Amino acid sequence: MVARAGPGGRTVLPVVRASGQLAVRRTGPVTVHLVATAFGPLGGDDAEVRLVVEPGAVLRVRSVAAAVVLPARGDSPPSAQRVLADVDGDLDLQLEPTVVAARAHHVATVTVRLGAGGELTLSEQVLLGRTGEQPGRWTGTTRVLRDGRPLLHTTLDLGPGAPTWAPPMAPRAYASTTRVRPGPGVGTATGVDAVRLPLPGGWVSTAWGDALDRVARADADLHPGSRPAAQPVLAGVPS
Amino acid sequence: MSLTALLALADSRLPAGGHAHSGGVEQAISAGLVTDPVSLAGFLRRRVGTAGSVAAGLAAAACAVVGRAVGGGAVAAGAAVPPSVAAALADLDAEADARTPSPAQRAASRQQGRGLLRVGRRAWPHPAWDALPTQPHHAVALGVAAAAAGARPADAAAAAAYLSMSGPATAAQRLLALDPITVAAVTARLSPLVDEVAGAAARAAAGPFGGLDLLPASADPLLDLLAELHVSRKDRFFAS
Amino acid sequence: MPPDHDLDDYVDPYDPGQRRAPDGGPGALRVGIGGPVGSGKTALVAALCRTLGEELDLVVVTNDIYTTEDADFLRRNAVLPDDRIEAVQTGCCPHTAIRDDITANLDAVELLEARHPGVQLVLVESGGDNLTASFSYGLVDVQVFVVDVAGGDKVPRKGGPGVTSADLLVVNKTDLAPFVGADLDVMRRDSDAVRGEKPTLLISLREDPAATDVAAWVRAQVRSRALQSA
Repeated sequence: MVARAGPGGRTVLPVVRASGQLAVRRTGPVTVHLVATAFGPLGGDDAEVRLVVEPGAVLRVRSVAAAVVLPARGDSPPSAQRVLADVDGDLDLQLEPTVVAARAHHVATVTVRLGAGGELTLSEQVLLGRTGEQPGRWTGTTRVLRDGRPLLHTTLDLGPGAPTWAPPMAPRAYASTTRVRPGPGVGTATGVDAVRLPLPGGWVSTAWGDALDRVARADADLHPGSRPAAQPVLAGVPS
Repeated sequence: MSLTALLALADSRLPAGGHAHSGGVEQAISAGLVTDPVSLAGFLRRRVGTAGSVAAGLAAAACAVVGRAVGGGAVAAGAAVPPSVAAALADLDAEADARTPSPAQRAASRQQGRGLLRVGRRAWPHPAWDALPTQPHHAVALGVAAAAAGARPADAAAAAAYLSMSGPATAAQRLLALDPITVAAVTARLSPLVDEVAGAAARAAAGPFGGLDLLPASADPLLDLLAELHVSRKDRFFAS
Repeated sequence: MPPDHDLDDYVDPYDPGQRRAPDGGPGALRVGIGGPVGSGKTALVAALCRTLGEELDLVVVTNDIYTTEDADFLRRNAVLPDDRIEAVQTGCCPHTAIRDDITANLDAVELLEARHPGVQLVLVESGGDNLTASFSYGLVDVQVFVVDVAGGDKVPRKGGPGVTSADLLVVNKTDLAPFVGADLDVMRRDSDAVRGEKPTLLISLREDPAATDVAAWVRAQVRSRALQSA
């Protein structure tokens, strides 16, 4: 998908191609929704999303519903989703939560290459296991570069089989937001099972716990400008 | 290849400033997350699998950069390092920053990198030291130290992974007054994991594609949170 | 047997005493101040800052065991501006930080020296430790060991590296001698016996808050370094 600045602040999309499990629907002047055309993803599926946001263009990418990652029959291989974005304009990529069913393993990679004036808002929400079910496994990598220089590169491996998914931190729910734009960074903030760290020109916040709604709120509470409920900042880290 | 160099780099007796860093375990103890040998083993396993893995990849890559350019070990006096080495080490330093978004952990890493640079320069004179920034990330400095001392990238990875465990283990032993033999047993039993992490990191650093994006980037938000809480305290024994 | 010249190859040529400041001059004199808990190290450092602060460009590194209390004491008492004090953490091992792995202290010293070009005196105060603790000469040029009368008049006789080999031994709190039954003459005699030519000063910071004699000794050391290196 290519987003280009059009007349009147509208973003035009000279290239929109989608195939396989994903379709793209335009839902606003700068907004598109990704629509899954089938159940899944399923173990073994491999989806790639390629985004180009040209200078001056704004692109908001959303999805219509949570993605439920299901295992293939038998010995399920992982499913993969790779997002690669080249951004000289403003990309706002906030999909609905990914729910990883028991026995499934989803490998999500987001690579964003920002040009000098590029802006990024990226949020991810993950829930391991549907209600009453064992957690699945999610391996998520975020790599953000500005002018070829890495700003952030982290891989989080959650769920059974992940070497570091163990007490005191073996959460079922995880939320993270990355915000980068030209300009100064934003300092550190801490919450209960939540932390915000500075990036050049922005910040990355992360929260984890058992229930996704609470985790998403804890993440949002750390966003600059939010007015969180009183936080016992140094109260330690309940497991 | 010098086995003794590897032993020296992993030796806690090497005066590079590591003794004042707990790798997050001081805060984990304050938060009640580490209380005994079992919870310590859990903490060390996380640390080796995340910070240790990242450090191992960076150290192996830095060692390889120097080794490819000028060869490791004793180098003829006056030998120069091509500018590409400084650029490659700066790239690795930037990769370390990207994998270490916690300012407290960055500062701890750079403080120990500077300490290692100080002792390494005198212990293993080598032109590659001059290609490092003045406060390099510890893992990058460790890779250069390994090259200067005549060790291989895989050794650099092993030392990095081992240090990610041994530092916090010693700190926990002091803070909790644990039986040092119990702690020695914990670390001994974790050594297969250390080997595995180091091996995987070294392979990633030596991969046929060689892209920096392939170096391990395992993050641990819990360690990030502990590090940020720790640095804001005034009552602490350890620098990190 | 002829001398083995090859042995030189094993030794790195760096000599901490011959180090140079960035301006090419001799740089600051680094003085370690050690001694057991409660003997008056911080009070002595504060006294030296007050007495010498006007005439010498000086900075302080503190090594508290657990807190930044000593650094805070110096700040609170406005003995020195904030940017002239650095506190280092010692990882539960105050003697390691001044003797076995001096990295954090060297970092702090170098940071202060870079922040204050032309600094003449660096005081490094150790965390309170026992009688065996002493500074590495990789970190300091000279060291002062502070004990107090209340610790008992046997301390100098018992010796230990701090008492026997420090460049200056300070026996503090002489005003307490009558109350604790300590014999100052015995302390003086025992000190001289274990220390040979090295000086010992018996002082009371309560009676002489300027630490006049210690300040004079430090002043002489600063002058001597400047002359040696000139």
